[in-house]
Amino acid sequence: MIQRGSLERSEQLALDVEGLTVTYGHEPALWNADVRLDRGSLAAVVGPNGAGKSTLLKAALGVVPRVSGRVRVLGEDPARRRRLVAYVPQRSSVDWDFPTTVLDVVIMGTYGQLGWFRRPGRKERALAMGALEQMELADLAGRQISELSGGQQQRAFLARALVQDAEVYFMDEPFAGVDAVTEQSIASLMGHLAQRGKTILSVHHDLATVPRYFEHAVLLNRVVQAVGTVKEVFHRGNLDRLYGGRVPADVPELAST
Amino acid sequence: MSAPWVDLDPTLVVVAAGTTAVGAVSGALGCFAYLRRQGLVGDVVSHSALLGVVGAFVLAHAVTGTATRSLAVLVPGALLAGTAALTLARSVSTRTRLNDDASLGVMLSIFFGGGLFLLRWVQRQSPPIPGHTGLEDYIFGMAAAMTRADLWMVFTLGGGALLLLLLLWKELKVFTFDPDFSRSLGLPSRRLDLLMMALLVTGVVIGIQTVGVILMIALLVTPAAAARQWTSRLSNMVLLAAAFGAVAGAGGALISASEARLPTGPVVVLLATAIFGLSLLLAPRRGLLARARARRALEGTAPPAAGGPA
Repeated sequence: MIQRGSLERSEQLALDVEGLTVTYGHEPALWNADVRLDRGSLAAVVGPNGAGKSTLLKAALGVVPRVSGRVRVLGEDPARRRRLVAYVPQRSSVDWDFPTTVLDVVIMGTYGQLGWFRRPGRKERALAMGALEQMELADLAGRQISELSGGQQQRAFLARALVQDAEVYFMDEPFAGVDAVTEQSIASLMGHLAQRGKTILSVHHDLATVPRYFEHAVLLNRVVQAVGTVKEVFHRGNLDRLYGGRVPADVPELAST
Repeated sequence: MSAPWVDLDPTLVVVAAGTTAVGAVSGALGCFAYLRRQGLVGDVVSHSALLGVVGAFVLAHAVTGTATRSLAVLVPGALLAGTAALTLARSVSTRTRLNDDASLGVMLSIFFGGGLFLLRWVQRQSPPIPGHTGLEDYIFGMAAAMTRADLWMVFTLGGGALLLLLLLWKELKVFTFDPDFSRSLGLPSRRLDLLMMALLVTGVVIGIQTVGVILMIALLVTPAAAARQWTSRLSNMVLLAAAFGAVAGAGGALISASEARLPTGPVVVLLATAIFGLSLLLAPRRGLLARARARRALEGTAPPAAGGPA
């Protein structure tokens, strides 16, 4: 509550990354990165494999050690903003044969609020069911998670993020390996969240859909090449530089810029 | 014919209570090792425990002048050796290009080899150290050697480990299922990782007297693997694995106390393996029979119409 109160008069920036450098061993994953996102931004992180996209999200979550630089989420250190941040990891990063149900996974979204030792109860179950309904998964609540399709797994992860009732959402490839119907429902969920003033930063691979699903783009290849609205920065010149001139010519919505 | 359990030998009661408790605790704790794919870690801990046990025996003899094989002395030694082996393995894999499995394997060999070496050295001492003749039992286990004091040690350590598991249930669950997400919640992943290790080490060291350092890993992983066949909820899996471990432990003690004079540890492990085998065959949905039946049912039906010619 205190956090939300202080948020009213806090600055407009949802994410403020300044001169951030992160290394894994001796390899730099991110080099002197500056990223600023206003609250209510709907932003895609775009860049080739190994460009440090997931690392940027993890730095924003405050879970990777940084060599230098500064990260602020809603004007504070990420460690002090955990209650206002939701994270959707890559779907492939967990073992979907883990013995648990869909409802249980979504309830994990309440663990942050619950704190140590306290168990989820009726209230947490109700919150989770509400999020499942929103993601049209309510009838699968009791299912073992290994029985879900890829799209359903992704929607379960998003339901878990919704339960967190956050202000800022960091998502790692939420569109990876989902069917067209799920893709539509994820995109419209993101749109709704952004309309309600929530901020979304999402790693995204499909260049063709960036202009349709996102308003802002972060072009990243270890260094930040450009940050801005899709209109401003998402054009062929920038992308050719980003991917070393290997952008397929048929990315449709690029042709018009 | 009188019921055989009426006149149970009090020693057998202690031994059976011990093996049952060991089975239950290692079954429950083993679930997390199983789900985190850390079977090898458990194996390293149990093999290196031999060096710790023999080392603690030698040290206790050198310091106090008396020889003791009580768990109160040997368990701290085993704890120390197991933790040292894991710490060394981790620092080797972070500082060299050896991967985790390789460095764990190296530590297993070094510590188990060291344990065997020290054991042989102790046995060749002259004048012989009294009480050394029971030390080799730790290799294959000797449940019959369990005393009342040992039993309390098993109860205290095992109970403490289970209590921690219960208290931190939701944290350990989310950390095991989705470590990245649990870090984003602010859970201290390094400390939870250490706690998991500590629980695993505890589960191992209280069992080595019963089943021995070589077979201990079976008692951690087999009940968990069997339980996984029957249920898709973590809480049920842990309860079921504890029950399977307890049944194997109790059964092993009773069978080996009968005329047959069979060694307890191997019988416990064989019982756990039998439970696993039956689970693998018979479990609904995941069992081999159920899956074969499902496949046959599928073959009998026509292919879905949507894929047919338009």
